[in-house]
Amino acid sequence: MSLSGRTRDEIQALVARFPERRSALLPALKVAQREQGWLPPETIAETADVVGVPHSAALEIAEFYTMLHTEPGPTTRVVVCAQLPCALRGAEQLIRELRSELHDRDTIEVERTSECFGACHRAPMARVDDLYYENLDGEGRKALIAELTRG
Amino acid sequence: MVEYQRVLLPHPGRTEPVGLDEYRSEDGYSGWKKSLTTMTPDQVIEEVKAAGLRGRGGAGFPTGNKWSFIPKAPGAKYVAVNADESEPGTFKDRELMEVEPHRVLEGIALCCYAIGAETAFIYIRGEYVCAADRLEAAIAEAEAAGVLGAGCLGTSINVRIIVFRGAGAYICGEETALLESLEGRRPMPRSRPPFPAVEGLYRRPTVINNVETLANVPGIIDRGSAWYNGIGNPPRNTGPKIFCLSGRVNRPGNYELPLGAVTVRELIDSYGGGVIGGKAVKGVLTAGVSAPILTADKLDTKLDYDSVQAAGSMLGSASLIVLDEDTCIVRAAALMEEFFRHESCGKCTPCREGTSWLLKILKRIEAGRGVPGDLDLLLSLSGEISGKVLCALGDFATSPVVATVKQYREEYEQHINDGRCPYPAW
Repeated sequence: MSLSGRTRDEIQALVARFPERRSALLPALKVAQREQGWLPPETIAETADVVGVPHSAALEIAEFYTMLHTEPGPTTRVVVCAQLPCALRGAEQLIRELRSELHDRDTIEVERTSECFGACHRAPMARVDDLYYENLDGEGRKALIAELTRG
Repeated sequence: MVEYQRVLLPHPGRTEPVGLDEYRSEDGYSGWKKSLTTMTPDQVIEEVKAAGLRGRGGAGFPTGNKWSFIPKAPGAKYVAVNADESEPGTFKDRELMEVEPHRVLEGIALCCYAIGAETAFIYIRGEYVCAADRLEAAIAEAEAAGVLGAGCLGTSINVRIIVFRGAGAYICGEETALLESLEGRRPMPRSRPPFPAVEGLYRRPTVINNVETLANVPGIIDRGSAWYNGIGNPPRNTGPKIFCLSGRVNRPGNYELPLGAVTVRELIDSYGGGVIGGKAVKGVLTAGVSAPILTADKLDTKLDYDSVQAAGSMLGSASLIVLDEDTCIVRAAALMEEFFRHESCGKCTPCREGTSWLLKILKRIEAGRGVPGDLDLLLSLSGEISGKVLCALGDFATSPVVATVKQYREEYEQHINDGRCPYPAW
């Protein structure tokens, strides 16, 4: 059994919030993912069992969304938006710099995405796990690198 | 600059949320109180119709009409709030939810009352953690004060608002995909009919409205449709609009203005501080990446639904991305297509396969490996996608390609003829 008692309780509480239990599936998978940072097959199956839906229903959700991970990943994900508004304000340069500064850190991965995160007015930007780091030109960029390489 | 008292975002530059007490001190929830104590649900709908409010998510559909499609028969009805804001260049709903959460909630409550729904879901994109947290805090605050929840403001009206966090998928902004996602299925668009007003969430009548649309409603109910018609360009373009300005401008940001009050040029120059480095504008996207680009000769187009449409594009979510003269149009088109290829849900073959091919061809042209005939191939391929898919994403996916090939054909041909991109790397 891989899900903790606390996670199971949390998922059950989610199920109770919705008119139909299957609605709890996506939030439940997000809760389950917190335990290991990704969703191994057995975690997906167990989440489906707690929600009360077929395993396949949970798998097809887990595989669809970019914020759900069906493979293990780095400890820290630095996702840089390179979509047009950010690209016009130095996103590619930010990616190059982050990759060159952080290339020897195995626990950090710098990922380029074409998805927009709604921070175009504070471009370039990066999402580090769940937090937004915006206005990453000059000083902001240095501060982010310092924060990521600390300790 | 236009003389104008802001309605939706009255505190420009603010980043902290307006709490319940402060919102109430600014007439917040007085429209809610007015509707519950003096108006019938139908009167609320009629007021919204009279205001001429059109959907701010992109389609511009009249909101009051949408509400009136909901059957009056008893039984569960739902409100689904589209807060999946993911269109490149769009960041208005984020600011509304982060700074004015109660205005959004009041609009949702009014919609619930108007159509007879007791439950609303705010479908918010997973990346908007801060906005979702603030909405949940505001809901708790409003429920504790008896403004929302069971027995709102001492009446028998119940409004329960639930924040539902997505997990990264542009397609969830498509209204039927949003419903699928809420129901715990893969977010793939449904074929219509039945339309959501008849058979939506959990097969029940459902209204789906954008965040900014609903944020317009409190003012309409509190101050009346006549006041609202005094803002903007009536009869078809009334009310305030938040314009998201990004790209090669000195001061990108959200600018709230009446519809039709300024032109594209005025927005860029007077509000955005002009183009970076004083460069010339090559083109402006007005609806994020989902509608044709406006060329530099169209900069005097007024920013309202009908004027932008007359100029050959769409106002959409009013997300203006400014491209300057140093921007490679082929690279920009490839980047936009990369977005659609990534976000295509895969349900319809023309969109799933076609976006990949469009991207491949655009990339090879940009890299200097384009061949004669590529431009016609791009156009014919686009014609095989557009109109042959279940939802608008497939149509959107062709518009950066078709519009740029038609309007900047020489630049494309230069790439193919010279065998290289004439612009420096990003």
